[in-house]
Amino acid sequence: MSDEQYRETAATLIDLFETHLGEPKGDLEAAIDELTVDDTDYKIVQGLAKLLTDECEFEQQAAVDPREIRQRLFERANDRYPIVRQPTLGEDTQKLEVYSAVADELGISLEACYRGMYADLDHNKRLVRFGEQTVDGYDEDASDTSTTKLTGNSKQAYDQTEQTVDWLLARYNLALAQAVLYDASEMRIRVWDHFGTVFSYVKLFGLMHRIYPIDADGTRVDSTDDAAGYEAELDGPASLFRKSQKYGIRMANFLPTLPLCDRWEMNAEILDDESTSNSHQFTLDHTDGLVSHYSTGQRFDSDIERTLARKWERANTEWELQREDDVFDLGDEVMIPDFAIEHPNGRRAILEIVGFWTPEYLASKLTKIRQVEADNFVLAVSERLDCAGEDFGDAADRVLWFKTGIHVYDVVELAEAYASNTEMDRS
Amino acid sequence: MRLEFDDGTLVLHDAPETVPYAEWDDRVDEYRAQAYRYRALLDWAGHWTEDDRQATLQDGFTHDIEDAARAYPDLALTPALQIEPRDYQQAALDAWRAHDRQGSVILPTGSGKTFLGLQAIADAGVSALVVTPTIDLMNQWHATLTNAFGDQLTDDIGVLGGGSHEIGAVTVTTYDSAYRYIDEYGDQFGLLITDETHHLAAETYLQIPEMTIAPYRLGLTATYERADGREELLEDRMGPVVYEEAVGNLAGEFLSEYETIQMSVELTSEERTEYDEEYQIYRDYVDSHDFDIWKEQGYAEFLKRTSYDPHGRRALVAKQRAERIARTATKKLDTLDNLLKRHHDDRVIVFTANNDFAYDISREFILPCITHQTDTDERTEILDRFRSGEYSMLATSQVLDEGIDVPAANVGIILSGSASKRQYAQRLGRILRPTDDRQPARLYEIITTDTMETYVSQRRRDGVKSSADS
Repeated sequence: MSDEQYRETAATLIDLFETHLGEPKGDLEAAIDELTVDDTDYKIVQGLAKLLTDECEFEQQAAVDPREIRQRLFERANDRYPIVRQPTLGEDTQKLEVYSAVADELGISLEACYRGMYADLDHNKRLVRFGEQTVDGYDEDASDTSTTKLTGNSKQAYDQTEQTVDWLLARYNLALAQAVLYDASEMRIRVWDHFGTVFSYVKLFGLMHRIYPIDADGTRVDSTDDAAGYEAELDGPASLFRKSQKYGIRMANFLPTLPLCDRWEMNAEILDDESTSNSHQFTLDHTDGLVSHYSTGQRFDSDIERTLARKWERANTEWELQREDDVFDLGDEVMIPDFAIEHPNGRRAILEIVGFWTPEYLASKLTKIRQVEADNFVLAVSERLDCAGEDFGDAADRVLWFKTGIHVYDVVELAEAYASNTEMDRS
Repeated sequence: MRLEFDDGTLVLHDAPETVPYAEWDDRVDEYRAQAYRYRALLDWAGHWTEDDRQATLQDGFTHDIEDAARAYPDLALTPALQIEPRDYQQAALDAWRAHDRQGSVILPTGSGKTFLGLQAIADAGVSALVVTPTIDLMNQWHATLTNAFGDQLTDDIGVLGGGSHEIGAVTVTTYDSAYRYIDEYGDQFGLLITDETHHLAAETYLQIPEMTIAPYRLGLTATYERADGREELLEDRMGPVVYEEAVGNLAGEFLSEYETIQMSVELTSEERTEYDEEYQIYRDYVDSHDFDIWKEQGYAEFLKRTSYDPHGRRALVAKQRAERIARTATKKLDTLDNLLKRHHDDRVIVFTANNDFAYDISREFILPCITHQTDTDERTEILDRFRSGEYSMLATSQVLDEGIDVPAANVGIILSGSASKRQYAQRLGRILRPTDDRQPARLYEIITTDTMETYVSQRRRDGVKSSADS
């Protein structure tokens, strides 16, 4: 299929979904099937349709619970058999009598009773929402909050539809890559930015990691102070015992995180279906044009961090503030300190802000902090918190206590005192 | 040492270096073991005893151990329906118990494997997970378990799969769903039952037993050996084969007598025109290519072509359309009409191989209906009512077999069915029983003349005959 054909197919399908708003799902599916009758690319059609269906909402249209309707029908019918189409004398009205008796019982019309009997079947449900287009009288509150919303509307200009075709093809490319990953046994990633986002998704999808700091070329380095990026091997708990596709789903779910980074590489080992002895390599990077539909999350976790960053911009200091620049591997978790503070002469400190937290969160944070082994790791801690210097283990001397806000020059002073000299470290 | 269930594995906190079955996990700096080593680890530490399941200090522990892994409850259940087990069922259960409640039992199809499962759940006295290869089978287990234990459990029987995600003390699932979710629930069940357990040896499914801590395991199957010889892997995860009953020993015992009556219908002229058109497209394609469509290899070649040859694709669609026309011929409904009239006092099950057709019939004749789309819950309710007599007729597009849950009927009407020999034989054998005062049970097969159905029906009956001969 050429690019132009992909675009055509995508546009045809989008149009099909739009025209089936308010129609039964069965009709929509039949129309999609019709597109595949003498088309050997039917898998592409079905794949694109699947992604569009994910943007749809179908609703059951019945005044009374269909299961209630049919149960009453069957109960009543059981005493009246035979209910037949070619009646002999005395049997000819049985069917009508059963339906109308149940309709009366439930206070609905005969037609509502007949149609409602199986209104809960998937193919009888109606398409009430496609992307952001809805049928009249659509009740937004009653529906589930949807995932990604389509942009555009059939009544809008042509370029809006163009955008939707682009959107669909971008999702399709991503879905194809994800499908390959379902059989992955291990994933190796390299990222050079957005560390916080990347590792929070690693955790969200239940992947385990081994992390190595790397330089700009991707070569492993000793310290996070020298790191331009991070390499991570991702798999799951049972990967320790044997190669397994078990975590392929998690890796597929994780994949859309990577295009959130400006620069990234991914390499996965893909196992053959039935034998783990055969495997293939699957490689992707930021030049492959994948587009993410995941969110990067908030840039700052708290107001204190945001305020400090703003104050830093206006302050007169050679030290520069870098957001989430280091990743410490703590075994089953990572610790990503809020900031790194870097001087043009190569000196560098790492700053974590301990603001207003619940006691539980504070306890888990302190456990993490105590595990960090770095002499240039400094902390800014709120005086309002119920904790003392000794709670910070080796870092106890490197704590700056603050009342309401953090002053830039206090932090600079701390950095001057504890920053490492990376030039020296390297030698 | 503290045992903790972690995402389908066991983390062994503060374990001595001598701990068996474990690997050092440098990612978290602890020893880790596969979940199925749970019982062996307790045993190694001197904390496993068979009867009360709680070793006491007087026994003397080899290693101190804190079991934070077990999340499964004890359950005291007795099957509601007290059916006397058949001799071989009792023998199989005894053999399983003698093997510390681990291992597989080989019983011929239709010999009451589900019943044995119920006995095992009652015997083990712990929460149980039943894994089946298909949603059909999962539904049947659900119905059977609900009948047997429903009143004694505080929750419903759990269903994981087919759109449901409810976990109960006794839960049914499919291999696919179990594979996907076992790392979440592997600590919640003390007994693992795998139906058609030979499927378990597949690379992916093998992780189901590996990721559960269940100290008790029962595999059920009629055919343990696999073509690839991987059944050896099962022994390590499920225990050895503890009992085997040959097919010959049971043959004839439970197959009921029935009479088959074949009825033919014609296509309407409209249907005939469309059928001939579509069939011709298919036929032309097959005839103009060099493969024998009736042979397995030839058919595989045809299917392969449909993925790259547009004409082949069209031929496949044509074949499907023609089949559908034959299967759902409107005159079949007229014949069904007559049969329902004749048998309105009997217990009738109507089979179709097509969901839409089953619903059409359900609407037209107001028959309760079970298809693949029916909720597990509603399915169980309908079968219950059919069993109790509240419903005397039933339409279904599902294979109702291989279980004790399917209530007997004395009339079966096949409107369209699959050509699979095995399926067909089982359908017949399981479901049809003569009623007390009546003549043998009857099976009607309504087929459309001059269509592919004529051929399929012939093949089907050959299948029944040959399996009865063996």
